[in-house]
Amino acid sequence: MTNFELKELKTLSYQRPEIDKGYANQSLYVNITDPDIAIKPVTEQMKEIFIGGKGFDLWLLWHAVTPRTRWNDPENTICIASGPMGGTPAYPGSGKSIVAAISPTTGSVMDSNVGGYFGPYLKFSGFDALEIQESIKVFASKGLPEDGYALSEVLTNHFAGGKPRGISVVSTGPGAAHTVMGCINFTWYDNKRKRARYKQAGRGGLGTVFADKGIKAIVARWDSVSLDSNKPADKEALRSVGKAYSKEIVALDPKQNQMSKIGTTHLVPIMNDFDLLPTHNFKFGQHKHAGLIGKDVYKDIFDPGFDGCWMGCTVACSHGVKDFVPLTGDYAGKKVFVDGPEYETIAGCGSNLGVFDPYFIVEMNFYCDTYGLDTIAVGTSIAFVMECFEMGLIDTSHTGGLDLNFGNRLGALTLVHQMATGEGFGKIVGQGVRNMKKVFAESYGADPGILQDIGMESKGLEFSEYMTKESLAQQGGYGMALKGPQHDEAWLIFLDMVHNYMPTFEDKAEALHWFPNFRTWFSLCGLCKLPWNDIVPEDNKEEDEPAKVMKHIRWYAEYFSAMTGRKVVPDDLIPMSEAVYNFQRIFNVRMGFGRREHDTIPYRAVGPVTVEEYESRQERYDDQLTDKYSVDIEEKSSEEKVALLRNFREEQYEKLKDAVYQRRGWSNDGVPTVETAKRLRIDFPEVLEVLEVSGR
Amino acid sequence: MISLNDEKIPWQEGMTVADLLSGLNDAHNYAVIRVNGKYVSRPNFDAYKIPDEAEIFLIPMVVGG
Ligand code: SF4
Repeated sequence: MTNFELKELKTLSYQRPEIDKGYANQSLYVNITDPDIAIKPVTEQMKEIFIGGKGFDLWLLWHAVTPRTRWNDPENTICIASGPMGGTPAYPGSGKSIVAAISPTTGSVMDSNVGGYFGPYLKFSGFDALEIQESIKVFASKGLPEDGYALSEVLTNHFAGGKPRGISVVSTGPGAAHTVMGCINFTWYDNKRKRARYKQAGRGGLGTVFADKGIKAIVARWDSVSLDSNKPADKEALRSVGKAYSKEIVALDPKQNQMSKIGTTHLVPIMNDFDLLPTHNFKFGQHKHAGLIGKDVYKDIFDPGFDGCWMGCTVACSHGVKDFVPLTGDYAGKKVFVDGPEYETIAGCGSNLGVFDPYFIVEMNFYCDTYGLDTIAVGTSIAFVMECFEMGLIDTSHTGGLDLNFGNRLGALTLVHQMATGEGFGKIVGQGVRNMKKVFAESYGADPGILQDIGMESKGLEFSEYMTKESLAQQGGYGMALKGPQHDEAWLIFLDMVHNYMPTFEDKAEALHWFPNFRTWFSLCGLCKLPWNDIVPEDNKEEDEPAKVMKHIRWYAEYFSAMTGRKVVPDDLIPMSEAVYNFQRIFNVRMGFGRREHDTIPYRAVGPVTVEEYESRQERYDDQLTDKYSVDIEEKSSEEKVALLRNFREEQYEKLKDAVYQRRGWSNDGVPTVETAKRLRIDFPEVLEVLEVSGR
Repeated sequence: MISLNDEKIPWQEGMTVADLLSGLNDAHNYAVIRVNGKYVSRPNFDAYKIPDEAEIFLIPMVVGG
């Protein structure tokens, strides 16, 4: 039993508006210094151009900050919104919340799409979006647990009033305050297991902003949810399209990826077979022990159940491990429930560290969530440290005596525990790859060139867990992603590398226009992307463009029309996203960030940095040099071949940038043109001012 | 007999995944298949021998992540 005190500092009484066609038509502003609470209207223009979710977040954030705002300035604002479809139980994947703020890792706008019930409950309580500004001066709670695992449970029980399913808690953990890679946990209540579960808004240190503001938690409470909760414009049309989608998933998931049983763990053996599973800091894409951390193992470790992170999601991929007993940390020897692991955590905290122990990965997953740390940033940062250690760029005199060779499980866990307390070498690792490169070069005398080549970050954000060396399109998918190298904007590896659907620069540029924009659309609406293309209709191959899964896009257009009453067809969805996508790029420019130079990626993402990497796939690289680039390699050493290949590949990447910028309607420096802003109706005076200053 | 996406088709001794797919006119769509619950990917199609009575599902292209 936890004893704690909560003090009421400020309340606001309000008349809850009826939801109308997916919108509450107002947002909630909280200034936690004053404290002050206010209600703001959601205008027709906001709905028309920004749709909801991430669109609303960006619009609110733009007005809250200035070009000089840093992540830890009081005016930085945490914005959370679902979207017009968020909170629909009848259509799979309709319960997402989107979080945005200025990021401590990139210094610009960060957004993260997360499950759990908060966004929908916030909307049903009367608000399409929530803004939290300033930082806490008067602490209103005493005695609450520090860690996210216990805190979620305690607050769910405290506010439940006998109905825990009606509670969603948003919080982080102690690691968020001591690093720049803090995540935010969003809960839902699992009725079967009688406990709070959570998903993470992981990327870009949004949890660190949350912790810096001194916020302990945000709690939303709601009663029952039905198809009527969103008051759709055409309930019957919505019911019918939702039923068709759910039925298809129930019929096809068992034949296809079986996500309802194994989550995203099926990706481990597949990525490994195609040389795409990052191992040893993205050096290689394959390992003989990958089978030990794949779906065959996790299907037996996961607690069986119908595990959706929102009501009615028939994909139900949010699995967890019951009665897990950690070997280290405060929970050592105690039974805990672990949410996950998903593919990204397995690859980031497993293969990329050279560890092929499924239980170690579960323990890393547990402590990262509990401490409020992003498993991807943690994995990629520790992988970088391990390679630096093996290369002799750092040694035990820097690591506090820790032996950090690849495969050292205890070393990795020790770093995570240190991140939670802000002690030891973990404190430095918690500052992320970009900051570590600086420290290792300036304070430890390491060669900045090699650090740049192997430090897997771009724009300050750590890479998510896919190898990109053999897919130019995915190099662009990561390098030209607005917030940094996260795959939620574009995942083109298979289409490019395996199916060869985009042989020319123009084809790749078209894909790097269409896919990021369509993927953005999910975050405007409060939706999860997984049901779109992780379950594919059986007749999809008959479609003209099978990669787009057009049948599902037609259903999404029907769904949007039925919810909002705004009649749209599939071709209308991309322009909706384009407006927000370009607005975000211009927002980046405003923050001094969104230009060609910022779309640079480390060479490890492009090709073999070392002779060891080259020689491990020598036939492949030799063939490319001779067949593709007509080089006579007869007399060439491996070092020379590494250098030659590098020149060719780096040149290709720059050419790709040219083609993509042109397709997106951007200048050659990667800035949207005034013409593009006008076409998308985002030519607000303050936007034009930014473009004018940037010379467009 | 083996089952391919719930349809029965005859099995032959030594039959590989590549042999099986060569009989389909849309084989290029499949980079991954599942044989008795195990994923087999294109780099292994030539070598992987299908056992009799196998239950096989063709996995549409992975466009996820
Ligand atoms: S597909 Fe998975 S992650 Fe997406 S909403 Fe459903 S359960 Fe959540």
